[in-house]
Amino acid sequence: MISSHIGYYSLLLGFIISTSLLFYSIFYFKKNYQKINQKIFSLLFFQFFTVVISFISLVYSFIISDFSNATVYNNSHSTKPIFYKISGTWGNHEGSLLLWLLVLTLFIFLFIIFSKKQPVKYRFLSIFFQQIIISGFFLFLLLTSNPFIFLFPIPNEGLGLNPILQDPALAIHPPILYLGYVGSSIIFSASLASLVQNNINKEWATHIKKWIQAAWFFLTIGILLGSIWAYYELGWGGFWFWDPVENVSLMPWLCLTALFHTVIVLEKRNLLKSWTLILSIATFTFSMIGTFLVRSGILNSVHTFANDPERGVFILIFLFSLIFLSIILFFIYQVNENRYEKNFFLISKETSILINNWFMMYFLSVILIGTTYPIFLEVITNEKISIGPPFFNKLIIPFLILFLIFMAVGPNLKWIKDNYKNIKYSRIVLFLVCIFISFYIVIKTSSEILFISILGGAALYLLFITINEFLNKKNNISQTISHFGFGLFVISILLNSLFSSEFSANMKIGQELVYEKEQIKFLKIKSIDKENYKSIIAKFEIKDEKKNITSLYPEIRIYNQPNILTSEADIKTSIFFDKFIVINLIKGEKIFNVRYQTKPFMIWIWISVCLISIGGILGVLKKN
Amino acid sequence: MKKNIFYLSILLFFTFIFTIFYVGLDKSNIYKPKEVKNKNLVEFTSTELFSNKQFNSKDIIENNNFTLINIWSSWCVPCRSEHTILMHLSNKTKLNIIGLNYKDKKNNAIKFLDELGNPFSKNLTDPDGIISISLGAYGVPESFLLNSKSRIIKKYIGPLTSENISEIIKIIQ
Amino acid sequence: MYGKKVKLRLLFLSFIFLIVALSVFLILKSLEENVVYFISPTEIKNLSEIDITKRIRIGGMVKEETIKLNQNQISFVITDFKNEINVTYSGSVPNLFSEGKGVVAEGYLKDRSFFDAKKILAKHDENYMPPEVKEALEATK
Repeated sequence: MISSHIGYYSLLLGFIISTSLLFYSIFYFKKNYQKINQKIFSLLFFQFFTVVISFISLVYSFIISDFSNATVYNNSHSTKPIFYKISGTWGNHEGSLLLWLLVLTLFIFLFIIFSKKQPVKYRFLSIFFQQIIISGFFLFLLLTSNPFIFLFPIPNEGLGLNPILQDPALAIHPPILYLGYVGSSIIFSASLASLVQNNINKEWATHIKKWIQAAWFFLTIGILLGSIWAYYELGWGGFWFWDPVENVSLMPWLCLTALFHTVIVLEKRNLLKSWTLILSIATFTFSMIGTFLVRSGILNSVHTFANDPERGVFILIFLFSLIFLSIILFFIYQVNENRYEKNFFLISKETSILINNWFMMYFLSVILIGTTYPIFLEVITNEKISIGPPFFNKLIIPFLILFLIFMAVGPNLKWIKDNYKNIKYSRIVLFLVCIFISFYIVIKTSSEILFISILGGAALYLLFITINEFLNKKNNISQTISHFGFGLFVISILLNSLFSSEFSANMKIGQELVYEKEQIKFLKIKSIDKENYKSIIAKFEIKDEKKNITSLYPEIRIYNQPNILTSEADIKTSIFFDKFIVINLIKGEKIFNVRYQTKPFMIWIWISVCLISIGGILGVLKKN
Repeated sequence: MKKNIFYLSILLFFTFIFTIFYVGLDKSNIYKPKEVKNKNLVEFTSTELFSNKQFNSKDIIENNNFTLINIWSSWCVPCRSEHTILMHLSNKTKLNIIGLNYKDKKNNAIKFLDELGNPFSKNLTDPDGIISISLGAYGVPESFLLNSKSRIIKKYIGPLTSENISEIIKIIQ
Repeated sequence: MYGKKVKLRLLFLSFIFLIVALSVFLILKSLEENVVYFISPTEIKNLSEIDITKRIRIGGMVKEETIKLNQNQISFVITDFKNEINVTYSGSVPNLFSEGKGVVAEGYLKDRSFFDAKKILAKHDENYMPPEVKEALEATK
């Protein structure tokens, strides 16, 4: 009761501070203040503090199961384990927005602390633009999704959190993803500020690069966690489904990756200024589009939960006002590109980075079109369609070959101008060798051998080149690790998709089936009553050709509140492959729908993404 | 001049996208209560819980000025908290409240009403949930406020709140 | 020297143009090939011609008492309360697949009343009915 009051009023207070910050930042900016004064500083801190209070009071309401709060009532249950009571705070729309706001206010505070070397006017403007976003979110929360609504009479029991969300990976997935999204909002405000101040130069690039790398790191890890969750919780045994919700998190990532590379050109050569700005704006726009598409229910996806069209309208208007604002600012304050250093040579590091950007933009447009095309078609022709994975696979995978080669070659080129005569023949030989190696691996499978062996060869080539760089300490280490990780990533996915095998059947207890060289035996089931669910655990034995026996224990959980069945897959992970089994009840309790998969190199996919992101965090920590 | 045209076309492009998204929101997959408003309730026939008699929806609705159809179930937790509100409504007003018992066991439903009181003038059953679907219901609990011509005046998704109740009272007076 | 530069730039521009045109062409072409339409059982009955090579989605409710199982196959009937279609499927099903619940099946038509499903979709939410199903059901009223 009381905590809801505290939460609500402190949220209101935060909004008031936000409007006053909007006023003060522009006021001091106009008055040419020479330094960020104590007032701004303490207001920023106080704003962060109010959101923290509000967030804590919501968490507290969840912990004590205060069902007079509508958010708690809708998403929690008294028998839920404490861990999921807490994570339930941001497992729903209202709470997750509050978390957004928390991170937003935290980041602008940190930004002001860490940007002391930057021009004061630029810092004032960054606060101003960031406060526009923050107050937008405050309004959104207060008007359409207040997390502190009262219920009367007070219900005795809550509706429960969707069991599929009761999972450790999913408990930390949203906060980390938000760190990435919100990081991009800082980049957005900072770019607009530097556009107005005409402050786009090498120093600015060095300063904003850290933020880009940090946002990129969190976004990468956030996507990884979501993918891991999908792998073992959704029970389909895949890790990426080209589902709209996944796609919308990939779009800002691609933008951010492009930005990541472009800002290096800006830092080193003072080139590509407008392009850097456009990418910064696009990154945040795509984060917001993601929020819009997911939260408004305009997209039909397996991950969307309860939706409310009013919220959609709000985000849509907010999003497009930000877009229009940036276009108008672009129009008023034209960027003057550096005319003197316009010499852009064909064979140089700049070009290779530009090529990276083109690839990113291509991937981005494929995903954007694939994700939004159904919306456009439905509006215009009223036809309902969906676009499946083949679309994305077909348009993206072939281009990976060239992309991988450029990734290997690009970093070794010199800035400004390189000579093609520097190409070493040993490299070409190495490339051919790589293709042969992958050809040898692939030949046993039947599918498009030539294409896959070239793709695998390109990835292997990238691996060897980056290992060589690493050993000779030739390029900067964070880049080498990330590129190495990407090579490993492509190889693992390739091997995974080539050698995965799947078997599904409807089995009774005691039944034994032979599949390829393995024997699958359904031994028994056992039911256990847990705190908030009943669990049916089955025991399976897999005997492979060498008579090694693996026991697997897939589980079905019957949650009592809400009344939902979930399947918990059992996965035995080893260095080379995962054994993945999942069962499901269809009719009665006698026959089970069993799905058994062997998935090679799953763990390497996760490891490689970790390596990619480690590259990013090393960049942040590195001292200039 | 060229630059202006360029910027203008960009603005137009984004406006176009905005419009599409905006229209799309309206069309989209969200199930919205307002679509159902001002439609007539689909006619259905069902068995009464206690008397086991068959009733046609039209007959029991059209004798009254206003009718509230409440879809509920004994296994549904929010229905339990909603029930006190329904009791309050039936005690205070002369509103004809009809229950539609959704996918429930007969014994459980009777026990539930014994325990918490019976606000319903008739309690129809919907053991397989098909009637509820044909009414356009989304889940339990859900309530429809109808006039004497079976026209849906209001539809409430989720448990009725005390605000909803005062709204209903206002409408029927 | 100047001539060479202009030439290079022209070459470069036409190269970009070619790439953009190519990628637009590619995207549109694969869109056309990979789109999956959503159809209700009633719409199938009313189709003048059926295309058995095109992948489609069918939505409706799983009719009560129609799920039949054997070792490798599941068969059931999808209904929109007006028309029905028989579906056969081998593979794993989602948690929420059961009689009387909404379902979306993706696959190929055999003829007007038989459907060979390659994939069964369902959402996470118990009260959830796929929007397509809802619409299909509402359209038949």
